[in-house]
Amino acid sequence: MPIDWEPIWLTLRLASITTLLLLLIGVPLASWLALSQFRLKPVVESIISLPLVLPPSVVGFYLLLAFSPTSGFGAWLLHHLNLQLVFSFEGLVVASLLYSLPFMVHPIQAGLENLPVSWREAAYTLGQSPSRTLWRVLLPNCKPALLTGIVLTFAHTIGEFGLVLMIGGNLPGQTRVASIAIYDEVELLHFQTAHAYAALLLALSFAILLLVYFVNKRVTV
Amino acid sequence: MKKLVLFLLLCPLFLRAQPLRVAVAANAQFVMEELKTAFQKKTGVTVETIVSSSGKLTTQIQQGAPYDVFLSADMTYPQTLHKAGLTTAAPVVYAYGSLVLWTMGELPVSANLNVLSDPSVRHIAIANPATAPYGEAAIGFLKAKKLLVAVQAKIVYGESISQVNQYILSGAAEVGFTAKSVVLDPTLAKRGHWVDLPQTGYAPIAQGVVVLKRTSQPKAAEQFLVFLRSPDARRILQKFGYQLKP
Repeated sequence: MPIDWEPIWLTLRLASITTLLLLLIGVPLASWLALSQFRLKPVVESIISLPLVLPPSVVGFYLLLAFSPTSGFGAWLLHHLNLQLVFSFEGLVVASLLYSLPFMVHPIQAGLENLPVSWREAAYTLGQSPSRTLWRVLLPNCKPALLTGIVLTFAHTIGEFGLVLMIGGNLPGQTRVASIAIYDEVELLHFQTAHAYAALLLALSFAILLLVYFVNKRVTV
Repeated sequence: MKKLVLFLLLCPLFLRAQPLRVAVAANAQFVMEELKTAFQKKTGVTVETIVSSSGKLTTQIQQGAPYDVFLSADMTYPQTLHKAGLTTAAPVVYAYGSLVLWTMGELPVSANLNVLSDPSVRHIAIANPATAPYGEAAIGFLKAKKLLVAVQAKIVYGESISQVNQYILSGAAEVGFTAKSVVLDPTLAKRGHWVDLPQTGYAPIAQGVVVLKRTSQPKAAEQFLVFLRSPDARRILQKFGYQLKP
């Protein structure tokens, strides 16, 4: 059985793109959550944390309905952006953004909240704007938290299965990621191939987690 | 008090007879509901169904899944199990299935499949041909019509006929190839519209049933096989569009 590398590359591509985009979304979001006094903050935090507790099948089911060209949202996307999110790589990216959001936001938020308040106040009294304070003082001082967010998001996206199974349609090169490929190979009784994929993912995930634990002795999620 | 609560919690375990576990290929899940009711009425045996693609169920059975009876969507999978010595006897055909093309929208579905080339059709849902016999039949049909190459880019794969139905019903795929027994299910009969596909491009899909050797209820399992050949069961099968002869 020759190994088809495509599902592995697809998984890595999905995880990289998701991580990069979530970094752009997650840093401002986590900063706002850590620093704002907004009264409805618990509501926002709950929404962000939902993917941690919801079964992927719930998220997958709603996304299948939302992305379908017959739904309002799906039709709008198709009409205005010519974007089809069901059965496409773009759709998996959008789904992964939702699904891995807490893995990026939580560590960064916790990192920022753990910094002494006096640092921020000192920067303010020296005339620095809040945004400059964030970029120059606060974020550079929670690099481990940022790394944890990046690595956990990446690893979590690699492990995605249920969601992809529900909205992907098993298209080679588009939505047939490694976790789906393993599932297929097991179904076809190609245990050798399944082993190869599974061992690769196992090694990769272990290496990633090891990196996190080395960088900061404790993972805060 | 604690003991009483524990006893009450465990009560259902003592009172419920072990149900007959029937693993069913996704195409037959709806007909199975009616067969189940009729069988229970006749014999008093409760039936539990497990629905998935034939390939997946076969793998599970090979790995020791605790099912009693397996209704496949073809003959090959039960034959494989029989060769492996996991069944009590060779598979018997309980019905012949056929394909339909199904859509939720206003697309003009017809047996010549012209609709598949329509630009408004972006996705064609087909069950994974590697594990679902109905998917294999659909691919065979497209090949016979010399359409496979032209529409290949539009095909999306469901892991079983069930998922194909999800894709079609949710509108995620504009059209899809499913089993006739699905669109004849009373709850789905009014949804969208469908067309029969002539069995020139593919052989009638002979569906086999086997009793698994590991069954804990050989008697009830045999009863179920006998029931499948009864006039009652045949009437139900025909109502769902299955043929009894090839």
